[in-house]
Amino acid sequence: MRKVVFLVLAVLIVMGTASMILASEFHGAWPYLPPPNGHFNTFVTNAILGASMYHDLIEEPMAIYYWATGTWEPLLAESWKLDKEKSEFVVNLREGVKFNDGSELTAQDVIDTFYIGYLMHWAVWRFIDKVEAVDKYTVKFHIAKPAPKIVLERYIVRERVRAHSVYGEFAKKIIDLLAEGKTRDSKEMKDLRVEFEKFRPKTIVGAGPYMIDPNSITEAQLTLVKFPGYWDIKNIKFDKVVVYNGETPVVTPLVMSKEVDYATHGFPPATEMQFKRLGARILRPPIYSGPAIYFNDDIYPFNLKEVRQAIAYAINKDENAYVSLGQSAKRCVYMAGFSDNLVPLWLSDETKSKLNSYKYDPKKAEEILKSLGFHRDKDGVWVTDKGQRMEYELSVPAEYADWTAAAQNAADQLTKFGIKVSVRGVTYSQHPTEVRQGRFQMAIRDWGAGHPHPHFAFYTDLVSYNYLSGFGPGQNFPLTQKTKAFGMVDLNDLVTRSGEGWNEEEQKAAIEKLAVAFNELLPIIPLWERYGNNPAWDGVRVTNWPADDDSLYKNSPYADNFVTLMLLKGILEPVK
Amino acid sequence: MGWLVKLFRNYVFRRAIRAFITILIVVTITFFIVRLMPGNPIEIYIGQLMSQYGMTFQEAKNAAAALFSLDLDAPLFSQYLDYMKNLFRGDLGRSFVSQGVEVVDLIASYLPWTLFSVGISILLSFSIGIALGIVIAYKRGGLLDQIISGISTVLTSIPNYLLGIILLILLGVQLQLIPVSMMRGTVSPGMKPGFTWKFISDVFKHAALPILTYVLSTVGGWILSMRGSTLNTLGEDFVTVAKARGLPERRITFTYVGRNAILPLFTSLTMQIGFMMGGSALVEFIFVYKGVGWALWSSIGQRDYPVMQGVFLIITIAVIVANFMADLLYGKLDPRIKAGGSE
Repeated sequence: MRKVVFLVLAVLIVMGTASMILASEFHGAWPYLPPPNGHFNTFVTNAILGASMYHDLIEEPMAIYYWATGTWEPLLAESWKLDKEKSEFVVNLREGVKFNDGSELTAQDVIDTFYIGYLMHWAVWRFIDKVEAVDKYTVKFHIAKPAPKIVLERYIVRERVRAHSVYGEFAKKIIDLLAEGKTRDSKEMKDLRVEFEKFRPKTIVGAGPYMIDPNSITEAQLTLVKFPGYWDIKNIKFDKVVVYNGETPVVTPLVMSKEVDYATHGFPPATEMQFKRLGARILRPPIYSGPAIYFNDDIYPFNLKEVRQAIAYAINKDENAYVSLGQSAKRCVYMAGFSDNLVPLWLSDETKSKLNSYKYDPKKAEEILKSLGFHRDKDGVWVTDKGQRMEYELSVPAEYADWTAAAQNAADQLTKFGIKVSVRGVTYSQHPTEVRQGRFQMAIRDWGAGHPHPHFAFYTDLVSYNYLSGFGPGQNFPLTQKTKAFGMVDLNDLVTRSGEGWNEEEQKAAIEKLAVAFNELLPIIPLWERYGNNPAWDGVRVTNWPADDDSLYKNSPYADNFVTLMLLKGILEPVK
Repeated sequence: MGWLVKLFRNYVFRRAIRAFITILIVVTITFFIVRLMPGNPIEIYIGQLMSQYGMTFQEAKNAAAALFSLDLDAPLFSQYLDYMKNLFRGDLGRSFVSQGVEVVDLIASYLPWTLFSVGISILLSFSIGIALGIVIAYKRGGLLDQIISGISTVLTSIPNYLLGIILLILLGVQLQLIPVSMMRGTVSPGMKPGFTWKFISDVFKHAALPILTYVLSTVGGWILSMRGSTLNTLGEDFVTVAKARGLPERRITFTYVGRNAILPLFTSLTMQIGFMMGGSALVEFIFVYKGVGWALWSSIGQRDYPVMQGVFLIITIAVIVANFMADLLYGKLDPRIKAGGSE
């Protein structure tokens, strides 16, 4: 009997010990489509984890960016150089790097990646016209159209390198067709495109620290397992990364039950409060964008800048921010058209001093409208100088909880002020199309962009939903405008110049001008800047999260996610 | 010629023709209705390319044009004729969103899970419902009747997706009885499909909560319906005569009361069986359960017309066949009704 008891105890001790040396895991969450819809062709939509923060752990990019310092962390690339005189961008790859299928990283992998990008209409091909190998580990990009260094860097070194062993055949066909003088518009390229869209590799071959375990994929979760041959394996502390599938409502219970260590989803403030009550940390990285009120310029009096300014004064944006997303929304102080976090890096003190914050001031709003000859009707609703009552509809993507809250609050505030606004929800997949086609009166769409260069923010604010997008009339906001500050300005020209050319001083000057013009004209009214409310569990499976004021948290979670960086550099550690 | 007349007079044949025509009409209506939704898959794809990959509209449009073989600018009627031609060949088309994926394959991979979870749920909730319905009808007015009727009323009024969320939070977060990750999906990661106890038990484990959700959200309706039907039947003369004849109570309950009381519920049951093909989009969404409802939900968001049409076709066929079976079987259950007798 004693022997049996002893044996049982021994078994239990061994099992207990074994459980302590089980694989260390990091649990995250991201929406993906499982097979057969989801697949492993990462150039094409619906690739599993494609374009997600976890994608960088599988198909590693050449470098990743630190937003706070404006510097790069070299990964698959050791160094690179922009030679403006020769119009060349040369990248030196790290030697001795292996893909998870055993093949070696060489210049050919980068060349294949970008030529398939050509077939897929990647934006980088607006600026380059050739990619070639200088030697086995050096790649040269020929710059056809000059652009700021940061723009080229983000298009080139931030790109994930795909394996020649998987995509080489297709890349060769593209290069051969180009050599024959065929372009993307040719029948041969279009046919190749159709064929490529159906290409389904059996797995993702990457040079990152993790690889997808295909047997682990279900519609609910999948597992990334450590690649032992990764070039920087000493910094990879977790054996596995488990990614749970789902959007916000289905990920919420996982976070509450501590089964997810970190999530980037946009949780409503009430859910965030519940997370905090349960003991989770809430990380708030800037998103560098947010919701804005867009106006249909074809509708009088939205074409008058004074009316737009009055509306900006009539909305308490601090209240709007808090109601929408609690502490994860902050009123835009500078109203410059791009993130307040980037303003100190791009605007001089003199320019900043010219910017109007449009702080809540309903009296000022009233003065402006009266100066235009508007008056209030018997029921308090404003009437324009042409006798039209100011009653409008504000459309918003119905599924975006924070934007609908912003829309409803703005509508309530404006209605109280005397501009009667009612909210209409439109399904999120349809809303951008409706706005781009001009089928709206007022609408909530995004301002800014998750990019460190303000050119992209202004592109969103002034072009993306305007007649120049090609989709339709959109806002129909004329891009040649008269301003008090500069007289006549061609905003489209300024947006273009801010993102092209070698002369960075000229680009900065264009951005300064754009900021002042935007602030005066207010083609859209940015309501607030969004910050993440990413829950993070410290001490369940993961520990060593940096303090809240760490500069890593300045990285946009959707562009250069800080958790990806922390996993790559071994900052986060498993709980022992 | 006589055989032709005989054929047309045959009830089953006439019902089959009617079913076929109904399916054609529904397929036609579905084809046009889904295209009335604002937006189309090409616009949505262009929008995705612009926002996810930073393309300009022209770049995204060129990329989309190279990709979509279906010309959505072609007259709608010619698109319809193409669709019907393919349908008669059993070709439901290919997903717009997932290039090269046959709709038939998609539905075939999702449908069994819906049939399994919803099928078991219907059987369970119906069985529990009629049993409890008879019990509380016999004990009408009593404490048991009040409690069960009350609970049934509450359960019937709670939407099934809300029940699902409540169960998830209660069992997984508050009480921590079941890991939330175990309540999601159809199988555990790495589970190899096969007729093994490991696989079968894993399937049941993962289906437990969706099934519980469906059962809780529908059992109340069956209980109340059976209760009402039983009370009506208890008042019938033949029950009084049976009691007067001194037949055993058990025999009266099952053979006389139960069998007659269940008849009105039978039609609802067969209709539910038909509709179960569509699954429940929201319940499958909450539990990330790979069923037809989940497929329908994501295809609507992406305007994946072929998948939507395929799912609606399956539901239509299932409901019509179920209705037809109900008509045939009803005659067997109730000798007073002869299928096609009125015709």
